[in-house]
Amino acid sequence: MRDAYVIGAGQTDFGAMPEESYRSLFETAYESAVDSVPDGFDGAAVDEAVVGNLGVGGRQLGLPGPAVTEHIGLHGVPCARVENACAASGYAVRQAVQAVRSGMADVVLAGGVEVFVGMSSGVTKYWLGVSGETEWERLTGTTFAGVYAQMASAYLDRYADATTEHLSMAAVKNHESGAKNPHAHLGFECSMDQAVGAPVVADPLNLYHCCPTSDGASVALVASEDVVGEYTDDPVRIAGVGAASDRVGLFQRDDYTAVEASTRAGEAAYEMAGVGPEAVDFAEVHDCFAIAELLAYEDLGFCGRGEAPRLLEEGETALDGGLPVNASGGLKSKGHPIGATGAGQVAEAFTQLTGQAGERQVEGATRGLTHNVGGSGGAAVVHVFEREEEVAR
Amino acid sequence: MSRDSDGPGVAALGAYAPRRYVTGETVEAALGQFAASGVERTAVPEADEDTLTMAVEAARRALAAGGYEGDDLAYLAFATTTPPMEEADLTARLASVLGAPATLDTRTLTGSTRAGGQALDAAVDAGPWAEERGVGLVVASDAPRGAPDSAVEQAAGAGAAAVVLGDGPGRVEGRGSHVESYPGTRFRPAGAAETDGLDVTSYDRQAFSAALSGAVEGLDTEVDAAAVQSPDGKLPYRATGALGVDAETIAAGSTVEELGDTGAASTLLGAASARAEGAERVLVAAFGGGAGANAFTLDLAGVPVEATLDGDIELSYAAYLRRRGEITGGEPEGGGAYVSVPSWQRTTPQRHRLVAGRCPECGALNFPPEGACNDCTARVDYNRVELPGTGTVEATTTISQGGAPPEFVEQQARSGPFVAAVVALDGPDGGAASIPTQVLTGGGDVAVGDPVETTVRRVYEQEGVVRYGFKAQVCDAKR
Repeated sequence: MRDAYVIGAGQTDFGAMPEESYRSLFETAYESAVDSVPDGFDGAAVDEAVVGNLGVGGRQLGLPGPAVTEHIGLHGVPCARVENACAASGYAVRQAVQAVRSGMADVVLAGGVEVFVGMSSGVTKYWLGVSGETEWERLTGTTFAGVYAQMASAYLDRYADATTEHLSMAAVKNHESGAKNPHAHLGFECSMDQAVGAPVVADPLNLYHCCPTSDGASVALVASEDVVGEYTDDPVRIAGVGAASDRVGLFQRDDYTAVEASTRAGEAAYEMAGVGPEAVDFAEVHDCFAIAELLAYEDLGFCGRGEAPRLLEEGETALDGGLPVNASGGLKSKGHPIGATGAGQVAEAFTQLTGQAGERQVEGATRGLTHNVGGSGGAAVVHVFEREEEVAR
Repeated sequence: MSRDSDGPGVAALGAYAPRRYVTGETVEAALGQFAASGVERTAVPEADEDTLTMAVEAARRALAAGGYEGDDLAYLAFATTTPPMEEADLTARLASVLGAPATLDTRTLTGSTRAGGQALDAAVDAGPWAEERGVGLVVASDAPRGAPDSAVEQAAGAGAAAVVLGDGPGRVEGRGSHVESYPGTRFRPAGAAETDGLDVTSYDRQAFSAALSGAVEGLDTEVDAAAVQSPDGKLPYRATGALGVDAETIAAGSTVEELGDTGAASTLLGAASARAEGAERVLVAAFGGGAGANAFTLDLAGVPVEATLDGDIELSYAAYLRRRGEITGGEPEGGGAYVSVPSWQRTTPQRHRLVAGRCPECGALNFPPEGACNDCTARVDYNRVELPGTGTVEATTTISQGGAPPEFVEQQARSGPFVAAVVALDGPDGGAASIPTQVLTGGGDVAVGDPVETTVRRVYEQEGVVRYGFKAQVCDAKR
């Protein structure tokens, strides 16, 4: 099977941008991706496009994919929207890899876009919870933060050493990195006192345990091994892809202190890449809520079960630690434009692997992982990227 | 007028009142006066309670006291002046929640506070009830409302009472009914939510005495307690002469001081409360504005009763106004998650009676009992089992004020932060099914591992249809 490569990737700023539209955001992300291709890129090369989008606000619920690809001039290119809640564009990237590997396409645009800000608070309340299990979970009054809070309650109950301070440590860490990311929605540092003392949203989660909802778009350009040489001579290979589904409602799952879909997706991606978690230089994980980052460490094998708090205490996952996690600031600080989040993680991985991450650059990064989760774990997708030339050396 | 009854048996009694209350002192401090004579405090329904859920609470207590199950029921009479929906046969939902057979004969009595008496009268007429034929159930549940500054509202309480009619040990000894036209005494105009009265003191008293004396004519009112219609704590005592009972006897059959005016439930609540205090012979004297009355003499010796009437959570005046919806804004614009009424109806066995499925392949309990088994993933035909409703908290959170999803914004505005949890409900023969639900805590905390029991409450309302379903309550703090 042919290998697939990321030849360029970019994103808009994530944040509140009421002056933008979903089309204008996507255009900005596309231009950023095109600019990042080392040897230049012409849109005429795109064979296929996949766009992740939840459809928040119902703005262009049908056909948002063609609506944005036609807008950026990719006229006639086959395009479909991928909906998998917050994992939509992680799955878009996966589909791009599939299209390249199958031989059906040489160059695929995989992106995502979401516009969350600017709705009235009443409408926002509705859209915030649409990816929870509706009939039983949501309609008992459980919010999205509430489901993760339930997971946190089970985790804190199960592991006596784990505390809400550990959750706050993840927030402080991600803000510290996000403050170095010009694209970040909440690009400021926060102190432990601020993080611990924030108002409670859904006990035990407080405001600093929750990511914001953002506007934003992201685009990754994926090329086959047959054409990658036309765009770069130092390519970033998509070495491993893995994905898995699980029951949409938390109550339907075997374990509330793990996200089984993440574990399965991670194992598949590692197997394909032929490496384990110890070989990863950095990771972008789906920290929609602080507990999700802790669970991700364990689900992805960065540590054993119940050991995530220790990893945070030791600073292992800080920017200057042994395995920097969420150098971009993660969903917590960089922001979370639902349908754009997964491809946005890929953009960060590309930026890191090509040494363009500036102040937040992970030194010597040659292999990175992205982890994108839909809902509270109903879908997960993991990618392992590596700089082929460096890894081979 | 009186008539001899066949002497149908009274098998059990149940009574329930909301645990929250507001005192007359609190209202007086807020408004400068408290117009409900003889009322110390009034019971206030929680935002997820209404006359249907209170009816369930009372009915379950009566059935449990008598050792009956829902499928023993052959007849159900439901009385209220404040049905949660003005039109819709609520007995269907009541019967479903109670697990009564679909062949059940039902009546709804409403339109005046004597509906509680009329319901008992109708049930006696339809009898006699006996174990082999099935038992009859009378449930009176009410939560009157008036304008906030009115005597009606300040007296207005809430509660429900249920009577199981069967072989005994008690008996309906005598009964009587009377109507006499007195327009303008306690009424609610068409389309109005608030009960009113012209408040012509002497005229109101005259109507009360005339109707009640007519109803008790020929009855032997030598009783331990007289449960007399109590729109406030003073009027019933004006009927001592008409009823031939003394004030002490009326006090023994009264709940108005602690619960307030419980409308159509007033007299049966008084009877259940008196029975719980040991009364054996009880007069029930129901009155409704307009005016009409029903009276019964009951021999309740040996009749079991389960009553939960004591309030234990005091509300401030603002908290009471919030529970009433007087100062809350309703569901926000922007809509909510949509589960159509037909799809909700499809889950009625789960919402009302906790019907789960046991996987014939691996034995795991599944809730709801459809789709591939959560444990072994096999697609199977589940063996339906009813969960008894006890369980344990597995994961929990409290949705902070302002954070509720749109469907629950009004509930939160009225009641404050609520607990959303996953609870593992025990199977009938081992195992457990994990189910998301709100947990009622009585204001306390809830933690993983806490034991819970289920009850039935309003879950939310959409398109004008109230969605009822189970909720859990912490065992240590249950109502």
